[in-house]
Amino acid sequence: MHTNDSKGLLIFFYFFIALFSVVCLVPFVLAVSGSLSTESRIAAEGYSFWPRGFTLETYQFLFGSKAEQILRGYSISVMVTALGTVSAVLVTTAYAYVISVKSFRLKNFFSFFAYFTMLFSGGTLPWYLLSTKYYHLGDTLAGLIVPYLLSVFLMFLMANYFRSIPHEIVESAQIDGAGHLRIFFSIMIPLGRVGLVTISLFYALQFWNDFYLPLMLVTDQDLYTIQYLMYNMMANIQFLASGNAAQVGGVVISPPLETAKMAMTCLTVLPIAILYPFLQRFFVKGIIVGSVKG
Amino acid sequence: MMQEVSPDTSRLHSIRTPASKKRKWIKSLRKDGSLYLLALPGIVVLILFAYLPMSGLILVFKNYNFNDGIFGSPWSGFANFEFFFSSMEDALRATRNTVMLNALYMVTGTFFSVSIAIILNELRSKGFIKVTQSVMFFPYFISWIIIGAVLFSLLDYDKGILNQLFSSLGIAQVDWYSSPWLFVVILVLANIWKSAGYGAIIYYAVLQGIDPSYYEAARIDGASRWQIITKITLPMLIPSIILLSLLSIGGMLKGDLSMIMGVTFLNPLLLPTTDIIDVYVYRTAIRSGEFGFASAITLYQSVFGFILVLAANKLAGWYDKDSKLF
Repeated sequence: MHTNDSKGLLIFFYFFIALFSVVCLVPFVLAVSGSLSTESRIAAEGYSFWPRGFTLETYQFLFGSKAEQILRGYSISVMVTALGTVSAVLVTTAYAYVISVKSFRLKNFFSFFAYFTMLFSGGTLPWYLLSTKYYHLGDTLAGLIVPYLLSVFLMFLMANYFRSIPHEIVESAQIDGAGHLRIFFSIMIPLGRVGLVTISLFYALQFWNDFYLPLMLVTDQDLYTIQYLMYNMMANIQFLASGNAAQVGGVVISPPLETAKMAMTCLTVLPIAILYPFLQRFFVKGIIVGSVKG
Repeated sequence: MMQEVSPDTSRLHSIRTPASKKRKWIKSLRKDGSLYLLALPGIVVLILFAYLPMSGLILVFKNYNFNDGIFGSPWSGFANFEFFFSSMEDALRATRNTVMLNALYMVTGTFFSVSIAIILNELRSKGFIKVTQSVMFFPYFISWIIIGAVLFSLLDYDKGILNQLFSSLGIAQVDWYSSPWLFVVILVLANIWKSAGYGAIIYYAVLQGIDPSYYEAARIDGASRWQIITKITLPMLIPSIILLSLLSIGGMLKGDLSMIMGVTFLNPLLLPTTDIIDVYVYRTAIRSGEFGFASAITLYQSVFGFILVLAANKLAGWYDKDSKLF
């Protein structure tokens, strides 16, 4: 039996959650609306939640004069995400399996070897100098992948999944003469499917959204990922303005700077927005198992 | 394998001579050799990107030049520290900003995540919960660059939505991008916006594990909704709140470079409050090449960070022996 005041509280709760959810989506509405507006009206009247003078001009501009750069950015991002995710998952699950083998003498040592890196780090500078000067990762595709191959946090998450697989299965395989490689590839990987999917998604998201590595290691425009392209566009208007003046013979047209930012925003978020409904529940499951388990 | 010796018998048999030790090693290598193979790629990555950079801390005592490299550059003694103390003000500002922003993120983020989780736990409409949870989780998937771009359309002085709103309400427009202290609020709100939904999922999961009989008993006793929340739900969350907070104290000195870069574009006007340590190192070392100096601050960051981790661990131990991190 709830009293009236607690009914009021409940209404407030519904209202609060609804409001916060709306706030979470509003910026994207703003971006879509901005990208569909005319540049002159945005410049004169400012951004709005409803397109000012609905037009597809901005997208035509981007796909016309910037298509090559954008497509290259996309393909670098896709490549980095695909290669990075596959290799990171392999490296991570293999390491996680090793520390999850109960009878392995050095499992605690290997655990600590990974864990220690979460506590203590050499900082950005030595990392940068080693990566560029000694590993020669500057301006290479590998530079956008290799540093992220082992996330210690996801590795421990994966080890938790492996430990939850009944030990009897492993034992019976050992009796049948299976070695660790065999057990890892044909038992642990298939049985650890849920964990595998979860960490794959986390890695994919990290690689797709990353802009730390391009910022540190990339100067070559051909290696710009879509996120880094976006950053350059936001920080540096020149990117949009360049190579445009000569387009329409004699007449200098100004590129749609403001609306183009919004259009790029939409293009960058699009793949995530499309995949999100399918992926979201895996993330939720992964977070729950990883956090509630001690 | 079945003939695997249990720990007790193995201790009985192992007379500690070098020979038996060696034999044991060979035996274990034969049995577990493939494990080393599996761990190898991970070990290499850890050494290359975590352990070797730690040794790079010797840079602090070196006069770095790019040609001789980290290990070949001449020793400089404590010159870099003089450097460090000579621009102490900037270093302290960077430290203050890092700790301040992280502490604000931690407190406000936890508060919102926990509040949302508790509220979701009170709601009964499954469909509503599912939809709103998905929507609130979505910003977590978006990179800081994109968030920065969208924030710009909200905050820009002339064209931003907020200032349009202000002027239509007759309030003076605010130049957000040149107000370092106001921007702290923006950063905190942006952080809540991006991560509260994610955090709420963790806490909500903990709440789903609570035995419903607690709630039934409270309801029979005539507890109000508010009493149930404060006397049952919140106390149930406290262990998780403490554990997660302790974990984040260790990261107190790790700033989020992508966040600051993405949201402020390193706007010089905002640096008084947004120049966190990582940004500082990026600006002074990687962009301007003052390596010796930046390496001093890097060492300082590592040592300070390590002290924070040890402190957090100690606190965890006092709270509950099992929550100790190591």
